[in-house]
Amino acid sequence: MSSKWKLITAVMMLCLIGGGVAVYKVSSLGVPFWPGEQVYDWQVEARVTFFATGRRVKARLALPRANVTDRRGRESGSLGYHYNIETERGGQTAVWAAENRDGKQSLYYWVRFPGAGTSAADRVAAESAEPSSVGLGGAVGDAFVVIVDELRRVTTDPDALFVAVFQRINQESGSQEFTLVKRYYEEEFGDDAMLRMGIDMLESSGVRARKAYGVSLDEELGAQDPIPLIEYCDGAYWRVRDPRDPGAILDGAKLFVWHRGGGPLLDVTGGENSRVVFTVARERIPLHELTDLQGSPFLISTILGLPLSERAVFRYLVLIPLGAFVVVLMRNIIGVATLGTFMPVLLALALLEMPVAQGLVMFSILTAVGLWFRFMLSRLNLLVVPRVAACVVIVTLLMMMMTVVSYHLGLQDGVRITLFPMIILAWTIERMSIIWEEEGNWSALTQVGGSLVVAVLAYWFMGIPVVRYWSFYFPELLLVLLAGILMIGRYTGYRLSELIRFRNFTES
Amino acid sequence: MKFISPVKSKPPLWRRCFRTPGELRRMGVAGINARNGDFVLPLNPRALYRLVDDKLETKRLAEVEGIAFPKTYAVVGSSHETSKLEKMLEGVTSFVIKPTRGSGGKGVLVIDGREGRSYVKPSGALVSGDEIRHHVSNILAGLFSLGGQRDKALVEYRVRPTGGLTALSHQGAPDIRTVLLHGYPVMAMLRAATRESDGRANLHQGALGIGIDLETGVTTRAIYHGKPVERHPDSGVDLIGVQIPAWDEVLDISVTCHEMTGLGYLGVDVMIDETLGPLMIEVNARPGLAIQLANGVGLLKRLGPIVRQYETDPGATPAEKIAFSKAEFGRR
Repeated sequence: MSSKWKLITAVMMLCLIGGGVAVYKVSSLGVPFWPGEQVYDWQVEARVTFFATGRRVKARLALPRANVTDRRGRESGSLGYHYNIETERGGQTAVWAAENRDGKQSLYYWVRFPGAGTSAADRVAAESAEPSSVGLGGAVGDAFVVIVDELRRVTTDPDALFVAVFQRINQESGSQEFTLVKRYYEEEFGDDAMLRMGIDMLESSGVRARKAYGVSLDEELGAQDPIPLIEYCDGAYWRVRDPRDPGAILDGAKLFVWHRGGGPLLDVTGGENSRVVFTVARERIPLHELTDLQGSPFLISTILGLPLSERAVFRYLVLIPLGAFVVVLMRNIIGVATLGTFMPVLLALALLEMPVAQGLVMFSILTAVGLWFRFMLSRLNLLVVPRVAACVVIVTLLMMMMTVVSYHLGLQDGVRITLFPMIILAWTIERMSIIWEEEGNWSALTQVGGSLVVAVLAYWFMGIPVVRYWSFYFPELLLVLLAGILMIGRYTGYRLSELIRFRNFTES
Repeated sequence: MKFISPVKSKPPLWRRCFRTPGELRRMGVAGINARNGDFVLPLNPRALYRLVDDKLETKRLAEVEGIAFPKTYAVVGSSHETSKLEKMLEGVTSFVIKPTRGSGGKGVLVIDGREGRSYVKPSGALVSGDEIRHHVSNILAGLFSLGGQRDKALVEYRVRPTGGLTALSHQGAPDIRTVLLHGYPVMAMLRAATRESDGRANLHQGALGIGIDLETGVTTRAIYHGKPVERHPDSGVDLIGVQIPAWDEVLDISVTCHEMTGLGYLGVDVMIDETLGPLMIEVNARPGLAIQLANGVGLLKRLGPIVRQYETDPGATPAEKIAFSKAEFGRR
């Protein structure tokens, strides 16, 4: 078999194995191929706080429906409390109980659910029951009846009624009757007035309604109070809507319905000033937690089976071949001269740690000063290794100085430069100075320039999110990269730079 | 060429900056990838590299084959010996210090004579004994060697170029590079220093590349910075039509170098000494591509026929090979 065929077979094999494993992982194990499909979880934390009064304490927190949380699980944190979950007709309640508690108490409850949205806002089958009528007396009662009759004349459809009721409530001004009823509710219920009024009106119009609570899925909010929502029955099912925006159907990706089915959200006995706040956080699901992957015998499970710290190293490790690929491309296809074959890759890795512009400026300054220092050293006629070591010391000191200076100038990023490959830098300076003397400054500068260009390109390539994602979650694709490198290794055509080099070539 | 109109108008800018791959292929220009992938890698087994990467090894082989080369004055292998260097060189007025594993003329120090306790470079600059020792210790540390490995310093006879060739080169002996494939001479060029190249024979530093007719050993064409010239930029001496002395001997040495190293694709550097005649300087397993510019001939145009000839007659003698190349590539 000729070497050409050997190469073709090798390339085919690598592509087949690498591509095959990747395809298997996408299709059978469900690893998302595009990082945009990245699965993430919402984690909602409920924090219950209250002041215990020294007696028996019992806190009850209504929980999201079981079918919402089954997929990802939940947990509770409560030191010294007895904790259990009470289930009643599909609704669940977390119950914490303790004796002789004093002072400020904090109880936690976490829920995790898939980020693509939950079925929390979905309809729930309604058990048949008659809406209760509201017994209001006097002028308020009359006004209330007038309003309800008015609403019912327009529509009796539950959805339309809901929208009509809350649109009127949200309006600033209204009829005399409406203002009267509104004032009554405000006196009676305070903050809760609008919701109670809406619920009462819906009930009186023949639509069953009750309170529900939601949590806004917005990480920026920090600790948030529960958002009061209304749950109403459209005849067959219970639906949840936001009274502030009655026309909109709830978006499960923006709002998580924590509690539905009426009843109190939080009920604390033996405590004062009880309060529940929610915090949401979006968490990427580490792919190794996808259950299918753990059982997989393939590469991915071996990498993802490593402890977190080792995996962090892998994140960089898998990028090095990408940098090497860029170097191969730039040298063998484009024909860029670089100082040292893989120095640009190391430089690119260093650049990943800091803003590029700053890294390049840093590199230029370090090289320039180092070079100047190197020429000073050459007058001392030092032997090579001590000279390079001296260069390392100087470069390190320079870097520390630059860090301090940039810190005082308020450039915080100056501090993050420890990964800068100083030894490589020192050798670069050494080699550059030799090229400077042997081949002239032009040659030295073009080679350093070439190295910088390649480093920036490698940095750019290694920084592409898709590329990083693939290299980490589909390391087998590196085999395809390897196939590419093998093919370039047999490329015997012209380099781009040679088209310029031979521009004056004429046959004699 | 077809696309340049007979009226002598300037070609468009892009045409002056670029050659298309198609054009280069038509002219048979070899690129670095082609040289490495099609010739150097398949024909030069790695194991043979040490024969040419180490100049001492090459000299040892050459001695066996009876090839003439510059006499070795001293080999310095340790810093301890460095201190004795000046003693070793007593009585020698001119010499060359080079790393045994250097390439591309890196780390070569030429001393032309002495002035008191100092040494004189061809440019007239003075060098102290201290500076020489420092240079040698740099060589020993591997500063100029491939891959930075530890190296030895070689002190050898400084070639005095013959009168005819001295004029071509500014302060430095010109050397003749012959490229061979399977032992067939492919192309040859004379590399001459200019003031700009500072006594060095590297083309990209401004040295002259002068193409040589393989049959007669007469220079045919010269390039300076990639462009054809007819006269030396410093002295104005005619560069074309100069006869290389002892041309057949040069070819003999080159072909013998192929025989002794076994390298399928190689470049042989020869200098011609006033009194000693052609001397083998070094053998290169990766000869550069500038030779095609100097000759105005694409390497592939000649490599192709040689491959075919080699396949039809693998057992050709050196004399037959030289005869083939002369007949095939000679200018007549």
